[in-house]
Amino acid sequence: MAVCVAVIAKENYPLYIRSVPTESELQFHYMVHTSLDVVDEKVSAMGKALVDQRELYLGLLYPTEDYKMFRKLHNSYTDVMCNPFYTPGDRIQSRAFDSMVTSMMVQVC
Amino acid sequence: MSRPAHRRPEYHKINKDLFVLTYGALVAQLCKDYEKDEDVNKYLDTMGYGIGTRLIEDFLARSCVRRCHSYSEIADIIAQVAFKMYLGITPSVTCNNASRNEFSLILDKNPLAEFVEELPAGRSSLCYSNLLCGIIRGALEMVHLAADVTFLKDRLKGDSVTEIGITFLKKLDEKKYRRKK
Repeated sequence: MAVCVAVIAKENYPLYIRSVPTESELQFHYMVHTSLDVVDEKVSAMGKALVDQRELYLGLLYPTEDYKMFRKLHNSYTDVMCNPFYTPGDRIQSRAFDSMVTSMMVQVC
Repeated sequence: MSRPAHRRPEYHKINKDLFVLTYGALVAQLCKDYEKDEDVNKYLDTMGYGIGTRLIEDFLARSCVRRCHSYSEIADIIAQVAFKMYLGITPSVTCNNASRNEFSLILDKNPLAEFVEELPAGRSSLCYSNLLCGIIRGALEMVHLAADVTFLKDRLKGDSVTEIGITFLKKLDEKKYRRKK
């Protein structure tokens, strides 16, 4: 279960960000930026090795649950990208993507 | 060296995603070039017409269909042979009127619009797959059948199914051909 899902463009701005509970969004923004640094470290450590789907995951940044979540997220992301009316760099407004993220978010009552 | 009498037609396949993305790029570009939905629809239809007049030759060569004796046979062949051959789907056919010249092809899923979730804002009358209407119209014309082909319903517009309507107009004069025998 996730508390925050974010998709970051290569220019380091968020294409999509959602968190539960919604008030802590700024906190999560910071966390996302910190994790970008960890991502950068890992990528440079990997050197020139060929990257396949699994390795895009970069092994968990922190040890938590399964990477099926990432897979689902990535598949939905590629579906958004394939929409001919979506320009890369736009905020992601797809309802299908939203409902997939909802299914992954922690339910806070 | 003589060619064998019955050579199996070769199907050169391409990746479906590439085809669908190419079509999407075409429609997206037309949307950028033309402000009005009617213009985009018109150009898609015109392009489709150009494809249909050529595709019919390929279809007739590969499918070995026999001469049809009724409009409903033609509608069935379009749905069960042509759509199957080129798009891998088989729409169902319904007849819409008593004089049996108006038919509907009902598509459960439309492979061309696979990645399109919904029409973009301001494009509510866009017929995204209008190329198909042009193709059917062009192909029919090359076999001397005049028809009006339009989208009656579209999933992208919120309808429950995608429906293409074919209305056969008066048959183009082909009796002349028979007399030449």
